[in-house]
Amino acid sequence: MVVPTLAFLLVFQYYPAVSGLYRSMFDWNAGLAGNFIGLSNFVELFTDDDVFIRSLKNMALLTIWYLIAFVGLSTGVAVLIHRIRHERSKYFFRLFMILPVIIPAVVLILLWKFIYDSTIGPLNTILIGVGLQDWTHAWLAEPKIAIYAVMFRNFPWIDGVSVLILLAGLQAIPVEIIESGLLDGASGWKRLRYIELPLITGQIKLLIVLTIMWGVQEYSAVWAMTQGGPIDSTQVPGMWMYFNAFRISRMGYASAIGVVMFLITLVATILNMRYIRSQEY
Amino acid sequence: MERRSESLTAIAGGPARSQTRGLHRGDGWRTLALGILCALMIAPLIMAVIISLKSPSQFTRVPFMPTWPLRWENYEFAVQIISQFLLNSIITSGATVIGVLLLSSLAAYSFAQIPFPGRTLVFYAVLALMMVPASLTLVPSFVLIRDLRLINTHWSLILPWIAGGQIIGILILRAFFESLPGEMFDACRIDGASDWQIYWHVALPLTRSMLGVVAVLNILGTWNNLIWPTLTLPERKMWPLTPGLYSYMEQYYTSYGRVMAGLLLGSIPLVLLFIFTSRLFVEGLTSGAIKT
Repeated sequence: MVVPTLAFLLVFQYYPAVSGLYRSMFDWNAGLAGNFIGLSNFVELFTDDDVFIRSLKNMALLTIWYLIAFVGLSTGVAVLIHRIRHERSKYFFRLFMILPVIIPAVVLILLWKFIYDSTIGPLNTILIGVGLQDWTHAWLAEPKIAIYAVMFRNFPWIDGVSVLILLAGLQAIPVEIIESGLLDGASGWKRLRYIELPLITGQIKLLIVLTIMWGVQEYSAVWAMTQGGPIDSTQVPGMWMYFNAFRISRMGYASAIGVVMFLITLVATILNMRYIRSQEY
Repeated sequence: MERRSESLTAIAGGPARSQTRGLHRGDGWRTLALGILCALMIAPLIMAVIISLKSPSQFTRVPFMPTWPLRWENYEFAVQIISQFLLNSIITSGATVIGVLLLSSLAAYSFAQIPFPGRTLVFYAVLALMMVPASLTLVPSFVLIRDLRLINTHWSLILPWIAGGQIIGILILRAFFESLPGEMFDACRIDGASDWQIYWHVALPLTRSMLGVVAVLNILGTWNNLIWPTLTLPERKMWPLTPGLYSYMEQYYTSYGRVMAGLLLGSIPLVLLFIFTSRLFVEGLTSGAIKT
């Protein structure tokens, strides 16, 4: 009964994965068989490809930001919701957190592309309205600013799924533990720092892994907002891989980028598993 | 002392008494902070609603405040363009979710309840795929689809999506099937039921709510896929909603009213899906479905 599953996995998962690893060592174009060139693709990536190096820097920047926003901010919001005692408003906020999940991601990205528009976008309109003409920018068209515009989209950056997962963790803490903590005088900040946070490390760890994997690979926002431009200033590895494979047909080289991204996620996950220990009660 | 015990019961989830009391001490600023956050979250959507009801000349005069008359014809225009994309999305995401539910429940049931040689090994081999990112397989998958001559068919989306989507499904469902008592299945076997019969008549009906969680997660995943369809489907009229909305915005960028109407219409199906499954989904996320 596992045969259909395995058949699908073999054809559409294992085969492409192995083929990706293998083809990363080829000088491989769309129609041709290609020549085996060993590790030359990787050497070229790290020594002779400024755009790739820049894309790695952008990736690091974005991933760190996503960690702050998705894990840090979400923890804050989850704790806020958890501390609300009025049941109805608590339920309302919990329900509201699902909003960014059910609005299709592309709609939010496109709305923000519009918000950033230099001539008619609301962001510049607001800045002019409050007398800050000097602050207006062509947000997505200026090389120095575009990556930050991509980064700060979706203000106020709440990730509903993270909040719900963290809330679940907070709600699962047995009341007895909180009670005995309160009796020992751990209230407010101390309760958070010494009781609640240690007990939701499991959830936080999961979110960190997921966010890193996502941050390293995500490029649909860049794809839809800037296509990596202006002059490659918002390039990320995924976008660069896409560009190499489907615009200039260097598929072996693109596979090599894919392998590098795979290795980065692998190392990050292993480090995270090893060095952040979760606590059980 | 009394105050403290009251705060304890409130933390415990609040018995009926605390519900009738209205706002509690400390709730005020928390509600305010969260309220502002929620308002900011919804602001771009309100902007979209306002703009979607404007003609171009109304937009030039007053861009961000409501103007009358409301131009509902923007929506009529958007419907004509969006509906084809929506149909494609329903076909591809629908076929995918059916495939994923069938395959992952079958596999999860066997992993949980049927001992076969190498079972653990095979299960780990499936799990290991969780670590293989889409970026590694993107280029080879595209070449594979091309070699299978599936370019410009909806199969180019459905087949790889089924393959990828079933992994998380297997994970969630296996945990559930393992929690069912093995004696129950043994009893069925003694009564002469085959594994297929047990799967179809006993295991599947018991797992309906978990199937729902898997289905919603899977639909969310495929529905939002932006880039893969643009690669395998050269013809725009084959595109699902997500890339469709992107191309729609590119094409009509300067008729802002029409663009916003299209984006809002495009959001409706997922909102509907959520309304019908919200309890399931929130429960699934906040209960045992996703655990570390």
